[in-house]
Amino acid sequence: MRPAIFFLLVCCLCSPLAIARADSGDQPFRLHSIHARFVQKKEMKILARPLVSTGTFIFEAPQSLRWQYHQPVASLLLMHEGRIRKFVGRNGKLVEEKGAQLDGMQMVLAQLSDWLDGRFSDNEMFRVVSADEAHVVLEPHQPGLARLIPSIEIVFGKQRGLIDAIKLHEGPEAATTITFSDRILNEEIAETVFISK
Amino acid sequence: MRCLGAIFIAVVLLFGCAERGAKLPQLLAVSAESAPPECTDIFPSRGWQFIHSIEFSLDHGYGTTVVGVTSLEPRRIRCALVSLEGFTLFEAGFDRGTGLHVQRAVPPFDTPLFAEGLMEDIRAIFLSPAGAMQRGQSSEGKKICRFITAAGTVTDIIAADGGCPQIRSYSQDGRLRRLITGSGCQKSGPGRIPHYLELRSYGGSGYTLKMNLLRADRIS
Repeated sequence: MRPAIFFLLVCCLCSPLAIARADSGDQPFRLHSIHARFVQKKEMKILARPLVSTGTFIFEAPQSLRWQYHQPVASLLLMHEGRIRKFVGRNGKLVEEKGAQLDGMQMVLAQLSDWLDGRFSDNEMFRVVSADEAHVVLEPHQPGLARLIPSIEIVFGKQRGLIDAIKLHEGPEAATTITFSDRILNEEIAETVFISK
Repeated sequence: MRCLGAIFIAVVLLFGCAERGAKLPQLLAVSAESAPPECTDIFPSRGWQFIHSIEFSLDHGYGTTVVGVTSLEPRRIRCALVSLEGFTLFEAGFDRGTGLHVQRAVPPFDTPLFAEGLMEDIRAIFLSPAGAMQRGQSSEGKKICRFITAAGTVTDIIAADGGCPQIRSYSQDGRLRRLITGSGCQKSGPGRIPHYLELRSYGGSGYTLKMNLLRADRIS
């Protein structure tokens, strides 16, 4: 489940929604790669104050990703040519974490190509319930998933085709918001970025 | 050289498994002046919330890292596990009146056994043990506070001068079931919660929790 959510967020960030939106403007724009910082803010009723994480990510079409948390717990997720690796900081080093939780990623990867091809509304897991210039709201098809994630909101920024924030709702009293900044678009990225820690 | 390697591995395995199956040691009487303190002051008072990174690993190899939230409220305990990516994996509360109430549980955290085990671990780490207390020492001279429940389970708190105490829980048959060790204990606001804490469970499916304290917040 965790990888499902994670990949959904990342895929939304780099999704054809952004591309299509940009394409409808004066200056046609195609996103090939993006490098950005993010702040992740987790809010829950139980929390005395939000959990805040910071990190960076790099994406290159079609499916290469480097998603890295720097604080408060160092971790790194690499995805490249269908292979997924996760590392977690232990004693100052990033150590590969192997286990059953990676299995769920395979399911999400099946959705990834759909999203990158612009087939959001046809997606097996999520449907678009509302969309305008400022934001898009997605909801799961399956009731079981909808109980855990009632909706996901994608907020667009002023710059055409780019997403400012993604808000994942887990119910009336819990949500995770990822806000992006310092984006660098369409730079050349070495393949090793997606392979090695 | 191969023989030396085999010996080395055997020694590592021998000592690595030394705690598994350990039996309840005899508690020797001590004089009043050399008895350990009450031991219960090592636990934090109610009204605190702790955030830990938790590295969880099963004996057979599976492992993952999550963020744990533990709230010691005046009348109940609440806890949550959140993935590093911010997704809530588990959330539950426990109070003596209504018992355990799970609000949210995502596979593989959705079994009753997991919820009960997690709450037991939290109680073992953060709350003073149940049962009548005896004070004494081990044959090695370590000062011990021993708590014995009516059901026959035993928890030993082994004092450590200036360091973190060790908590050892034994089943009715006297076998070690849980071992909690820590480092970086400092007497401050919420008690003597260590900055690093390790819980080793020796039950049917053994596991280890390695917990690093990220922050402690006062709650009302």
